[in-house]
Amino acid sequence: MDSDDDGSYPYDSESMEYISDEDNDFGFPQAEEPVASRRKAPYAVFTEDQLRERIQEALDAVTSVLSISEAEAVRVLRHCRWDVNRVNEEWFSDTAALRDKVGLVEAEPSTSGQAGGKVTCGVCFDDFKRRDVRSARCGHLFCKDCWQGYVTTAIANGPSVLDLRCPTPKCAAAVPRDLIFEVASKGDQAKYLQYGVRSYVEDNRAMGWCPAPGCENAVECLVEVSSEPLDIHCNCGHAFCFTCKEEAHRPVDCATVEVWLRKNSAESENLNWILANTKQCPKCKRAIEKNQGCMHMTCSQCKFEFCWLCLGSWQEHGERTGGFYACNRFEAAKKRGEYDEETLKREHAKNALERYMHYYQRWAENDRARLLAINAMKAMTETTVEQLSEVTMTPTSQLKFVVDAMQQVVDCRRILKWTYCYGYYNFANDDGKQSEANKQQQNFFEYNQEIAEVYLDRLHGVTEKELNKYVDGTITDLGGWGKFRENLIGLTDVTRSHFDKLVEELEKGLDHLLTTYRATTEEEAPPEVAEEAAAGPSSSKAKPEASKAPSKKASGAKRGRQNGQKAPAASRATESNTDLEATAGHWQCRHCTFANQDLDAEVCEVCEMARWE
Amino acid sequence: MDQGSLLLRKQLKELTKKPVEGFSAGLVDDSNLFEWSVTVMGPPDTYYEGGFFNAILSFPTDYPQSPPTCRFTSEMWHPNVYHDGKVCISILHSPGDDPHGYEAASERWTPVHTVETIMISIISMLSSPNDESPANIDAAKMWREDREGFKRKVSKIVRKSQEML
Repeated sequence: MDSDDDGSYPYDSESMEYISDEDNDFGFPQAEEPVASRRKAPYAVFTEDQLRERIQEALDAVTSVLSISEAEAVRVLRHCRWDVNRVNEEWFSDTAALRDKVGLVEAEPSTSGQAGGKVTCGVCFDDFKRRDVRSARCGHLFCKDCWQGYVTTAIANGPSVLDLRCPTPKCAAAVPRDLIFEVASKGDQAKYLQYGVRSYVEDNRAMGWCPAPGCENAVECLVEVSSEPLDIHCNCGHAFCFTCKEEAHRPVDCATVEVWLRKNSAESENLNWILANTKQCPKCKRAIEKNQGCMHMTCSQCKFEFCWLCLGSWQEHGERTGGFYACNRFEAAKKRGEYDEETLKREHAKNALERYMHYYQRWAENDRARLLAINAMKAMTETTVEQLSEVTMTPTSQLKFVVDAMQQVVDCRRILKWTYCYGYYNFANDDGKQSEANKQQQNFFEYNQEIAEVYLDRLHGVTEKELNKYVDGTITDLGGWGKFRENLIGLTDVTRSHFDKLVEELEKGLDHLLTTYRATTEEEAPPEVAEEAAAGPSSSKAKPEASKAPSKKASGAKRGRQNGQKAPAASRATESNTDLEATAGHWQCRHCTFANQDLDAEVCEVCEMARWE
Repeated sequence: MDQGSLLLRKQLKELTKKPVEGFSAGLVDDSNLFEWSVTVMGPPDTYYEGGFFNAILSFPTDYPQSPPTCRFTSEMWHPNVYHDGKVCISILHSPGDDPHGYEAASERWTPVHTVETIMISIISMLSSPNDESPANIDAAKMWREDREGFKRKVSKIVRKSQEML
């Protein structure tokens, strides 16, 4: 079915060319990177059943080597945070010490049983037959009723029951699981086992629960646990950071996230209200709530009289300005920047607030967009794919790409959201003061952020609007469907690799990036090229060398072979790039950074954006 | 009759038959086995020597799984006794309070404890106050920094307790 569609591509012959070309040029890093970014995830997600299996494996490993009972193995493992290697190390370096620590008493003292006769329970002091009393390996005997009370209370007290010891004061002997199960009710037994699973996850440094409400999966970190953020995508769909358990937040580090979230929770409510309900007095910048109808405002603090509409001084209002309510002085008032000295301090505070507001609003907006995208994705998997399958006569298994695209949108919204937190903390202090280097870095960062945003919006647009045209029947001609499909898959890929790269580079820090960029450009590249190299993180890594190359004219023959061209949102390309590209054997799309092997192409193979300005 | 009542009745019988030196015990109200009235004699060779201190032991319904509370009704001045008279010693805390510290769990409540062992702990508390984690900070501070003042204050409550007899 799918391969039949290919026949209808308008540029079929060229796409074949591309495939044959691929072998020659495959060695380029740009071509490999998207593949590398999909390498095996550094974590594994487990359901509760899988957890139980893994616990059993760990127990088996310990019991077989140390020849101790399973119940004893649980204690030893718990003490060693479920690290089998550590158990072996500790056990074989000092068995007695470890036994002592976890309460494994070596042997039963023979004095305890007055054989045949009656024994007294240590709790209720009643006399019992020998067969009606129990003890841990320490030999302190208690009747079954008293054991039951003891065990039930301990289970009700929570996971510490896993370390339950003999009731005799100062006796360290562990109460064996068999004894606990003999006296505990069915419900309590289940609870006890549940505590075991919890301990396996919670006491293990490399494990953690998925924090999503209602999700019972656990995650194991397969790389060394560190303080670096590690994004986890749980099977339930929630993305979180293994290290701090907040929502996944790369490229921002965990400490910054904590500070940011605390700042938000402290300020956002106030801020939102202030944003929605107040304007600032044009003179003293205090937030003012309008509580009466008239536009003639008098600031209660500085007594400045002004117009609520244009925020201009009331003195200049009157017939000259066309009346109070047809206020046309907005532009003029905005341009004026004369403040007296005294207001500088207020100005300061205002700047800090405005700066924060700027980043917070964008952070929050992207979060909203992310939530909407999550809902859209749900709707998509539930109904849209079904409908699409009918309309396009494609099996649903072939339509996974639309869901993938939407998932990409969700992920990207999240990353984009956190880049605003990154931006807030990395380039200036609170009131917005910054050094020249900071400014430069910020420009660079914002440029990249902007590109990312352009991509994401494009992908988001295609997955929502253009796809819907097929679903709701606006487009009935299926001729373009194959191309649409390829386009969307490509766009998803390109967006993913761009965002992955962005995150990676931001995590390394912009200092690193600027240094690389200078090293590659300052030597020989002409100024325009240097500027172009700054345009994208990947282009700065390409180590360009100047040489001769076919000019743009030579490629004119193939111009316009693509139908679906779009006007570029941002363009900075210069033609001197062609020289570099010829040497490199590919040209890099200035929108999606894809390395196009076809040096004569006028549009990008993947994102279909124009190559030239 | 539940386990708690049986156990308490048995202990009451034992203690009436064979009183233990240092304290005396009985019920506050004969119909309620869960409220005991005890009198602690100030241990010899301590500041509390000669005093007769009354206290109430209140047992929970799930005794002996959970510990009773002990509250002095006589005036008391001691680092491990709250201003309201409540006694703060480790064996009267259930092990569940501190889930992971099992070193200390051995010093906490276990069902094995009886009125007798509790009272012995309280008497030993009187002889050697623990000023590390005080219930009465003022008393603990005085115990550390102004032993003479502490002694005077305790003598006063000892005299008072004798007058109450």
